[in-house]
Amino acid sequence: MKITVTSILVDDQQKALQFYTAILGFVKKREVPLGEYSWLTVVSKEEQEGVELLLEPMAFAPARVYQRALFDAGIPLTSFSVDDIDKEYERLLRAGVTFSMPPTPMGPVKVAVLDDTCGNNIQLSQML
Amino acid sequence: MGFYSDQFHQLNGELYPKEYLTRQLIQARHFMEVHFADNMSLAGFAREACLSKFHFIRLFKTYYGYTPHQHLISVRIREARKLLSANQPVATVCAQCGFESIPSFTALFKRSTGLTPAAFREQAQKSNNR
Repeated sequence: MKITVTSILVDDQQKALQFYTAILGFVKKREVPLGEYSWLTVVSKEEQEGVELLLEPMAFAPARVYQRALFDAGIPLTSFSVDDIDKEYERLLRAGVTFSMPPTPMGPVKVAVLDDTCGNNIQLSQML
Repeated sequence: MGFYSDQFHQLNGELYPKEYLTRQLIQARHFMEVHFADNMSLAGFAREACLSKFHFIRLFKTYYGYTPHQHLISVRIREARKLLSANQPVATVCAQCGFESIPSFTALFKRSTGLTPAAFREQAQKSNNR
């Protein structure tokens, strides 16, 4: 058994695709029409055969409540690793991204939390 | 300050109160990343952290969630994947990455990737030629 797909809930799939590719730097892997929505995944540019991130539409109403509660508490929905968090932070700030937590060390890791503009806090982490 | 940020700072203070220990462990981990092929013992890496071998192993596991030995193997496998993808011979990769022998390299590599080094190299070449 392998982990090939993980997902995040997004309020608008096309807006999410734009943010996750043009701003964060992921690459679109699949877009399969499924009625009103699509099976839309992105992958890391460095690992294009790696785990796919599904940008999942919020067609299930209670999901909005869950997402909103996490967002309001500042809790990241998921986390991505980066090689140089300070450099990424500066790059993303220049691209207009909003952070609720700047790069902050916690023992052997440094993390930052950004707003993905699709209803989620996303954590970036660098193992020190 | 939100809930997450509060929890983060509280945990940081509770879990990592001794900054010098964090610095020593980070330094030792960086040292391992550079000297993974040097046939150095864990006691040697522990000396880099100015800690006894057993204290080093215990703290490393607490801080990173895996042992220094697991980390060393993981770094060696990561480097081996790069060299095999560049079509380097298995024996060369084995020696350059600090594995003790080809059988031990093969077993550890297969456990990590599901493929033997030779099969991985072949698959990488096919993929590169596409």
